Amino acid sequence: MAGANGMNGFWNPYLSPPPSQSRALGIGSVVSVLVLWSLLAVTGLVSPARLPAPWDVVRAFGYLAWNDGESMLFIATLWSVGRLVVAGILVIVIGIPVGILMGASQRINAAISPLVDPFRSAPVVALLPILVMWLGIGEAMKIGFLFTGAVVYLIPMVRDAIQAVPQSYWISARDLGATPWECIRKAVIPMAMPRIADAIIVAFSVMWTYITVAEYVNAKVGLGQLIQNARRFSAWDQVFAGIIVIVALALITYQLMIYIKRRLYPWETQL
Amino acid sequence: MSAQSDSSPQPEAATAVSIELKDIVQEYPASGGGITRVVDGVNLVFERPGINMLLGPSGCGKSTILHMLGGVRPMNAKTPTSGKILIDGVECHDAHDDSVMVFQRYSNRPDLSVFDNVAFPFRLNLWKKRVPEAEWRKRISDMLESVGLADKRNLRPSQLSGGQNQRVALARALVLRPRILLMDEPFGALDAQTREEMQLLLIDLYKERPCLVVFVTHDVTEALVLGDRVIVLSPQPAKIADDFTIDVPRPRSTTWQRSEEALQHEKRILAQLHKAPGKGTVRVTV
Repeated sequence: MAGANGMNGFWNPYLSPPPSQSRALGIGSVVSVLVLWSLLAVTGLVSPARLPAPWDVVRAFGYLAWNDGESMLFIATLWSVGRLVVAGILVIVIGIPVGILMGASQRINAAISPLVDPFRSAPVVALLPILVMWLGIGEAMKIGFLFTGAVVYLIPMVRDAIQAVPQSYWISARDLGATPWECIRKAVIPMAMPRIADAIIVAFSVMWTYITVAEYVNAKVGLGQLIQNARRFSAWDQVFAGIIVIVALALITYQLMIYIKRRLYPWETQL
Repeated sequence: MSAQSDSSPQPEAATAVSIELKDIVQEYPASGGGITRVVDGVNLVFERPGINMLLGPSGCGKSTILHMLGGVRPMNAKTPTSGKILIDGVECHDAHDDSVMVFQRYSNRPDLSVFDNVAFPFRLNLWKKRVPEAEWRKRISDMLESVGLADKRNLRPSQLSGGQNQRVALARALVLRPRILLMDEPFGALDAQTREEMQLLLIDLYKERPCLVVFVTHDVTEALVLGDRVIVLSPQPAKIADDFTIDVPRPRSTTWQRSEEALQHEKRILAQLHKAPGKGTVRVTV
């Protein structure tokens, strides 16, 4: 049916509008929220104790970024990023091989899957007290928590990435004389790499959402601690600023990793 | 026919090989419980280089037979259920390196260039030991020239047409100089004109280096154009319905295709296929 709106209408999930229009719509909705937020603050409909005005948040950001000859924000960011990177390396180094082995052998999967898969829907936050008991209240606990939170997502995703590679590539490699392990290493894993990269990207997104929880207990410095501290003094403008910084950092990490992934695996989008 | 090419430098002569299928039966667990018999007591002997066409309606079990010859086993059943496959008199149980398969759907890797797709086997331990790098690089260059992809060596499969992709698959198989070439409806997904081009290409490549080809198709015309021998299989479960040779040099002109001889062959094949009208379909292109 090629009536009005048939092939190029509003309700068409396959049709992308011109980039300028997409951008305008995105910016438009963000600006609308800012305007609404400003109106709420100006009219006093919501008290500043509950919702700080946008300009107060900006001022708080400025204060955190530079005050008394030092940048609290910068130092906090460095610590949080540092913890994230260390945990991320552990997630990659441990999680990817485990996921690959599970994907490569149904038997390994049958053995390990009951230990990993339930945690995807388990309240990882509830594990925090246990991790404190095991790892203390220092850095080991924080990194251990980030690691646990992310690795339970990454492992099943890597496993699924391996299993999603069409069997025909395995059969073809086998026919050409590859040993089973060569099939995995030289055909299946290279074909699964884009989705493994997706798993890494998700792992980092998950870790950004958990950073505040990780730094909840006894952090001397870090973005989570900064928010926690501000909350204690009811400095809601600083809480907002801190949250916005975390969201921005998470977004930058995501975009950067997506960019790297597209550069590394340009063939994926051509499929 | 024992043109033994010992270790002397005689690269163009394919080593003779024999394949024997003895009482092959294949059954699979059926979806609604019970079992489905796909292949029912097939006996076949291939003894000399030549193009052997396995012709039958789609879904009749001919691909199953081909996969058995290559030792490529499905995961969910013992293959074959009973019977033996002997290659040079030795029973074959698993993937072996006497044969190479060309599949209908391109098995080309989307992440590798044309060159790297063809070079893939040479980077496996098995072939690394057999063929030095300088030699396989030369072989691949020559082969890409032969299949007309010399100028496409750095492109990826997504940048090629369906026919070009099958040229890559054919090049990858032939560059290994296999004694047995197994083709599983390799041109089945191509349009008529491209299919004809590919048939001619196969004839050329075969002439350069004859080997034992087993070619599965459901296209009667393809069987008549390519085959030295045509083996007609009945609808599922596959049994041998007919088996005859065509002693006409290739390429076989359209005049020959319309000749009395060709029409007789066609009638003979169709008669067999129509005997037991199964669920499968046969294609006749004129």
